[in-house]
Formats: sequence, structure tokens, C-alpha cells
Amino acid sequence: MTDLFAALYEWFGLLPYSRDMGDHLRGWDILCESYTGTPWYVYMGWLMFAVTGLLYAIQYHIWDRSSFNKKHHWWLVALAVAGVNFLIAFTIPFNAIQSGDHCPDLYLTVPDCLGFGFSNALWGFILFVVITTLPFPRRLSTNCRQTTFWKP
Amino acid sequence: MPRLFIFAIGGTGSRVLRSLTMLLAAGVKPVGGREYEIVPVIIDPHKGNEDLKRTERLLWNYRSITKEAGTGNGFFSTRIATLDDIVPSGNQARGSFTFGLQQVSNTRFKEYIDLHQLSAPSRALADILFSGKSVNKHGQEVDLLDVEMDIGFVGNPNIGSVVLNQFKDSDEFRVIASNFKQDDRIFIISSIFGGTGAAGFPVILKNIRGAMANTGIDGRGFLQDAPIGALSVMPYFNIETDEKSPIQRADFVAKTKAALHYYKDNVTGNGSVNAMYYIADDHIGRPYKNDPGNGGQRNDAHFVELASALAVIDFLSIPATELRCDNGRAQDPVYKEFGIRNDAGAVTFAELEDGTEHMVALRLSQLALFRKFVDEALEAAKDKQPWSMDAPALDGRFFSDTFHRTHVKEFLTAFGEWLNEMAGNQRSFAPFNLSGAIPALVKGRQPDSGWFKKNVDHVLLNEQLNKTAKGAVHDSAHSKLIGLFFKATEHVLTSRFGLNAPQA
Repeated sequence: MTDLFAALYEWFGLLPYSRDMGDHLRGWDILCESYTGTPWYVYMGWLMFAVTGLLYAIQYHIWDRSSFNKKHHWWLVALAVAGVNFLIAFTIPFNAIQSGDHCPDLYLTVPDCLGFGFSNALWGFILFVVITTLPFPRRLSTNCRQTTFWKP
Repeated sequence: MPRLFIFAIGGTGSRVLRSLTMLLAAGVKPVGGREYEIVPVIIDPHKGNEDLKRTERLLWNYRSITKEAGTGNGFFSTRIATLDDIVPSGNQARGSFTFGLQQVSNTRFKEYIDLHQLSAPSRALADILFSGKSVNKHGQEVDLLDVEMDIGFVGNPNIGSVVLNQFKDSDEFRVIASNFKQDDRIFIISSIFGGTGAAGFPVILKNIRGAMANTGIDGRGFLQDAPIGALSVMPYFNIETDEKSPIQRADFVAKTKAALHYYKDNVTGNGSVNAMYYIADDHIGRPYKNDPGNGGQRNDAHFVELASALAVIDFLSIPATELRCDNGRAQDPVYKEFGIRNDAGAVTFAELEDGTEHMVALRLSQLALFRKFVDEALEAAKDKQPWSMDAPALDGRFFSDTFHRTHVKEFLTAFGEWLNEMAGNQRSFAPFNLSGAIPALVKGRQPDSGWFKKNVDHVLLNEQLNKTAKGAVHDSAHSKLIGLFFKATEHVLTSRFGLNAPQA
């Protein structure tokens, strides 16, 4: 699972942040000996799924209002998906930097946090596009079953 | 499907037919759930009568809507057909709802009866029978024999009864006779205090009951023993006093009494009618313009016309076993009147008796809500809401097509005019607040509210439309439009306003 999420977040090698940040997120432990620390990639990956799914469910199935089903409403929620995922992904490594809660051999910077935040936001956005483009489960919504990024 | 042939005679006939068309459009049905095809025949020599013209236009729009959308959608759920529609080889595009009276246009009555060709004794008799004065279409006083009949019979049933007797030899009567089946029924609508209706009713009735003697038609047996209902509208409005006019309010009661006396022996007294409905209103309201016919005769809709239209629905609710005839005589004739709970100047649903209220309140409210949505919220909802986008799509192209732009829109506009006219008349029928917000739409009915209740507005109606449309299958976009709005408005009005669905 770690490898799968790592591949996604690192854009299959393009790496929008430093290799050190990648190791930290893989779970490089605080003693700098093995990947037995917190597997952040897995946690962040599932959290990204959960956050995106929750915001999707709120718009399409919980709130589900005819006054909130146009494409600009979709973009608003998509922005929220990206924003929340960015914040989560930025905050967690940033806190680790602030508290020194990582292998001291790793050189972690704020731009690394921004890069990971950006990567998480982008995957959240892509996931939201995919969920809302597929007919199922969108079709189960009463008022938003026709709402996608391009219509109505 | 059995048919109901409706003869709507004169201006009152057209106006009652207009109200009936509105009720049928709203989805009002006879109790018992039996379906009928309605075949209206408007009989009026006054082709320029505005009431006739707008009723005919309304019927055409109704017919066009049902032709496209079918009749299984709640609104517009009773088929209305022309005589040509019921003839298998008929030219349906050419059909008409009006009876083609011959030789009345630009013809004076004395020319119609060939007065100069009559023998001296016959001419003398005609002079006596048709003495008196009337007005021509220019408003000038003329002898009765010189009346030009293209503005009607101007309150003179004596000339009307002669001219309308051509009915028995008409193509229309032949078509009705040859297509009349055992389960079909006939209803005759006329006023008793004017000219055309008072003259036409006994003539048409006599020709139907005496069909066996008419060798020029088929299906005489069924016709002779047909279940016949009739509505006689007695004075119900006031008119301006105009000494030059042949129409005088003071004559209404005298003419009514004279005609009722005649009916006692020749209509009700001889068992010609199975169900006879009488209606009148002595409420003295704002007078109508005194127009003998030369001004186009456009009277505002009146509550009495709506109540009169309910007589047709009531007649269709009577089981066939109670409308038996033998040799052209009704076996158990019934006589009915209409009343309201309170003698109120402004009638709302609360003033109607329970049976009437249950029959019309929900259905009329549904059509009023449909009209309101089309006027106020359709533009924003089309191509935006799932109910509009789901297949078959009710998209911009659909709404700019003739079906909606002309037929539906025009019908709903006419429905609004009809309601406004009744609301402005005296006695008024004003159960709706058409210009207010949806919660104020039905007078005396506030939607329920609470912490977890959504506001009743166009948003809610859109949501109900979306819910109704979800997973539903429709034959066409036309039937989808009509059916969706019927179901959605029914749900909102029953669940939030507490209106009751009519008895099935």
C-alpha cells in the first residue's frame, strides 16, 4: 500500500518535493534505521479518500439541494476538496518539522510541505472528478445526479 | 371508450364549456373512475362572440396537448375530440368544435324564413309570432323580422327556435347519430334567460328524443334512449341598464319563468331528460356591459359557470343503471341544484361543500402551482435541474417548440386569466393568491412549518420534481412535462398544505 500511495504522491518519480520528505512519508523512523516509523503515505492516502468522499457525499447525498447543483457549485466543492486535502497534507509534515519529530538525518523544508500539500490536493481533486463523472453513485443523488465539472 | 357529447348553446354554453375545459385540464374526474371522451359541439350563430372564440381556442390547445402527451398524465387526462376526430375517415386537421349554422351570416330573419314566399295567411301568422323590436349589429332598432342573425338571436328565443331547427338535418347531427354507441351520453348546456340557449335546448332535445322519426340518420335507437343530462342556467349576473338595448335585466326573470313553464310540459314534464341541473345566483354584483352581441360579447368568467361545469362531472358520475330510458322517456329522472356553504360575496374553497371542495380544490391548486412555476421558475430550471436534463430531456429546444410555447403556455395563461376574471367578478371566486409567494397561494391554507421542514418555494418544487423524475420512465418529453408536474404538485399540496386528493 505504501508503495502504491508513494508512487501516486511522487507522481511516479517526478517528485514534487525532496527525496528526504519522501522517506519521511514512507515511514523512515526517528532513529534513522528502517522504515518502521509512521507510514504517512498510507494514512494520508486513506485520509484523502475519506475527505474527498465525505465532501462528495455532503454535496450529492446529504445536503443534496436543487439550489446547490450547478457546475459552479461543483467547482466550489472541488475547491474545498483540494483546499482541505492541501491543508492536511501540509500541516502534518510541517508539524513534524516544527517539533523535530523525524529522523534528524532527513533535511525537511517548508517547500517540501507545500509540495506534498499540492500533490495531495491534486489527487483529491482528481478523485473528486472521477467520482462525480462516473454515473454510479452520482445517479443515486436526487438533485445532483446531473452535476459534473462541466454541467449543468 | 364511451363518449360524452356536449352541446354548448349560446354565450353561456361557451363560458360553461370554458370552465369545464379548465376543470378537465386540472385533472378533475367523475367519481367512479370511468373514463369518457368529451366531444363538445358549440352552437352559436354569433361567430364573432369573444367568449366562443376564446373557448374554441382553449379547446384546440387542450386537444393539441393531449394529442402530443396522451391522457395518462394527471393533468389533461380526459380526451377532448372534435366530431371529425371520432369519424374513422375524418379529416382531423379540419375539425371544428362549432356547429356550422347555415344561412345566418348577413341574413335577416325574414329572409331566412322566406317571408315573401309565404302565403298570405302564413305571412300574417309570422308577423304575429315575430312582432316586436330588436337591434341590428350596428345597434340600431329594427323590427324582429329584420334582425340580422350573425350576432345571435339577441334575447329572442322565438326566432332562435326556428333557425336552430336546422340541427336535425345537419351533417353534425348525422355524424353524432351514426357514431353514437350504447354507453355514450349527451349533455346540453344552455341559459334560459337569453335567446340562443333558451331556444336551442328544447329543439336539440326534441330532435334527439325523436330520432326514430328522422329517417335521414343512422343509430336512431341508441340516440332515442340516450342518457341525457341538461343544465339550465338561470339569471346569475347583472347587466348595465341601457334603454336602447333589447337586453334588460328586468326581462331575465320573466323570460326564465316563461321558459320554465314551457319546460314543465315539454322537457321535464315529459321525461325527456334523465338528469336536469338548475343553477342561478341572485347575488347583485357589478353589472356586465350591456352588449347584445355587436360589441363581441366578452364576459368575465363567473363562479356560476364553474359550478355549472361541475354538473357535467356530476352527470358522468351517475351510474348507467340510474339513467335508463324506455322509448325516449327517462325512467328515473333526477333534478339537481347547486349550493355553497355560506352566502359569501367572495367564495374560496372554504365556502364550498365538502364534496365539491374535495373534487376541485387539490386539482385546481395543482394547475395553479404548475402555472406559477412555469411563469416564475421554469427559465432558471430548464437545462439546469435533473428533472429537465434526464432523458427524455426537457431542454431549451423542447421549451421553444410549439407544444410548450404555444399550447401549454397559452393554456396556462388562459387558466390564469380565467382565475383572475372569476376573482374580479361579483360574486367572486378567489381561492388563490396568484401574485403572492407559494406559501400564500391557496387562501386559507398555510403550509406546515417547523425546524426540520423546508420552506415551500420553487426550490422545494424543483426538488420534488427531481425526486419524481428519478428513475421514472416516460413515453415522450411531452408526457413527461405534464406527468411530472402533476405528481410533484400533488405531493407538495397534499403533504404541506393538507389538501385532500379527490375520491376515486
